[in-house]
Amino acid sequence: MRRPIVMFLVMVLCMSLLAGCLNRSTEQTAMNHDPNDDKVTLTFMGWEASPLETESVQRGLDNFMQDHPHIDVVYTPVPNEQYHSKLLTMMAGSTAPDVFFIGSEQYRDFQSRDVLMNLTELFGQDFSLDDFIPSSQDIMTIDDQIYGISSTTVSPVLFYNKDIFDAADVPYPPHDPQDAWTWAEFVDVAQQLTFTEGSQTEQYGVYGLEAFYMHVGLILSNGGQVWDDQKNIVLNSPASQDVLTAIKALREEHGVSPEARYLENVGMNAAQMLQTGKIAMMVDGSWALQELAQMGFPVGVAPLPKFGGQATTHGQAHLNAAWSETEHPEEAWALIKYLSSESYQLDLIREGLWMPNRTNMYTQEWIDQWHNPDVHPEGFVAMTSFFKDSKPFPFALNDKAAINDIITEELDKFFYGQQSVEDTLQAIEQRGQAELGK
Amino acid sequence: MIFLLPHLVLFCAFMLFPVVGSFLLSFTQWDLIGDIEWVGSSHYVALLNDAVFVEVFWNTIYFTVVSVPIGICLSLVLAVALNQKIRGIKFYRVAYFLPVISSMVAVAVIWQWIYNPEYGLFNFLLSVVGIDGPNWLSSETWAMPAIILTSIWKGIGFNMLIFLAGLQGIPDNYYEAADLDGASMVQKFLHVTLPLLAPTTFFVTIMSVINSFQVFDTVYLMTGGGPGRSSSVIVHYLYQNAFEYFKMGYASAMAYVLFFLVFIFTIIQFWRHKKKSVY
Repeated sequence: MRRPIVMFLVMVLCMSLLAGCLNRSTEQTAMNHDPNDDKVTLTFMGWEASPLETESVQRGLDNFMQDHPHIDVVYTPVPNEQYHSKLLTMMAGSTAPDVFFIGSEQYRDFQSRDVLMNLTELFGQDFSLDDFIPSSQDIMTIDDQIYGISSTTVSPVLFYNKDIFDAADVPYPPHDPQDAWTWAEFVDVAQQLTFTEGSQTEQYGVYGLEAFYMHVGLILSNGGQVWDDQKNIVLNSPASQDVLTAIKALREEHGVSPEARYLENVGMNAAQMLQTGKIAMMVDGSWALQELAQMGFPVGVAPLPKFGGQATTHGQAHLNAAWSETEHPEEAWALIKYLSSESYQLDLIREGLWMPNRTNMYTQEWIDQWHNPDVHPEGFVAMTSFFKDSKPFPFALNDKAAINDIITEELDKFFYGQQSVEDTLQAIEQRGQAELGK
Repeated sequence: MIFLLPHLVLFCAFMLFPVVGSFLLSFTQWDLIGDIEWVGSSHYVALLNDAVFVEVFWNTIYFTVVSVPIGICLSLVLAVALNQKIRGIKFYRVAYFLPVISSMVAVAVIWQWIYNPEYGLFNFLLSVVGIDGPNWLSSETWAMPAIILTSIWKGIGFNMLIFLAGLQGIPDNYYEAADLDGASMVQKFLHVTLPLLAPTTFFVTIMSVINSFQVFDTVYLMTGGGPGRSSSVIVHYLYQNAFEYFKMGYASAMAYVLFFLVFIFTIIQFWRHKKKSVY
């Protein structure tokens, strides 16, 4: 008879313990705003693109806290891979950070779930949309409203190892996007810089174009599009076909390129392959300059070759946003404003990781402030319009993450399987439209 | 009873509640944030018409059907080999068991390196015998076999250990009797070892099949399911739906399809085992 009573008591104890835990978390949030010293604790979450970025964030936050003595910012860096799952899970559990990075590809997806604070009004008081470069403007604006502020911009560019060009007596790629190589010129150089010994290729001309992120600029350059005005997927066009076929031919026909997929994870990354002369040119995000500049070989940067029309790249970067349920909207805005300021970008631009997202920062006056001869190779200034005029990254204009995966998946079947280019583009269109209709 | 309570509370909180919860969720549409909307069995119907799900379903079957028999045969051979009285036997046992306790991330990185078409060890060894190896992880044909090979290598030590325990449970007098009858090594293995090892084999098979149906980390780390969908499996697609597209209901439905799949396979094995096991 006594047993059930004891059990009941223990149950009650456990329950009250559990309840205590739950209560404490609400108390803690309440305690964040202590009336005595009026200090507000803001939680802030981001990911680490490089150790330098984390350092710089921390340094920036210290400055921010000095200027805003009543705000205490607690920063949590989270690995990029699980970042957005974690963020949404935290939102669902009502424990989300007040301010956070949000990837440009996830920005619209998150906004459609109504979890981002609407910043339109506050933004209007302190910023002008026209000050931002066009790609940043397009990405930030959702139906004329703003829910996140562009932090910076990064774009795919062509990196090259000057030593390899010198040894083969081949002139460097032109820096001004107006004079960019045509595709034929580019293939010709890649062929001149490819050396084989027996059946082994000792040095490849170029690496990296097989990822959608890297080659979609060429499709845009050729007059192709990913979305039409009604947000239908219109990637299936002769313009895309030509570009995809030409890129696959680099490896399969001309033998001037190794496979883009997976090699990066394997011991030697792309930067090291460029350094050690396994590849002469590499298409990669502009952020790679920070690492390449420290690797002790003469690195060069140039615009991507043009395909058809004008040499074109795309731009995007994470946005700074606040949680719609934050208890400190004013302080959150102060932090976002700081993180989105021109002065905050400067350090990271000087290190080669970022590029400015403000039009005026491409004027000589500002270039003098951020241009760093130790990092930015000769001719870099001549190509800055390539970043300024970049198109918005197509995946950043889409609110269905599944479509991005469909495109990657079908392109894989084309590049590494037997699927024809026609079937690939058709499958993307069909599966993409079906997903859009869901 | 009281001593069970802490465990019971944890069991309810982290097993029973999620299991029941996800079953209910599989009839709803939910993105973690918004309202939960009841959609009946429509997710299950949608699964049947989802070409990607059908593909990952067959990939999972492919993975299981190939990796389980090979893994079991190899681990049995190893167990028999390591059941001898030779010098340094403990060292060998440890060596084969080492992959089991290694971190999957480290294993994946090393194997990606081994599979590298240009500088990898695997294609180098193949080239020694005159074979021009494929681009393992980026080939639609070879990505899955590559993953299967890594999984077998990683898991072989565990099964070996269980077989070893089973082997040591077989009394010596059966072998002595077989010796007196003039049985050969092969005969002893086929007519003494194998039948007496049947309960162990049964256990190992069940565990291997269940683990194979749930394979995820190897795929996630080594190929991300690619190229295309060629190496994607049910749990990988489930993960994407739940934590990348935030379709909790759809992912839960997938989990229950997987559950019934494993359930049916296990029932079949129990039934077969019951029919023929006499020892």
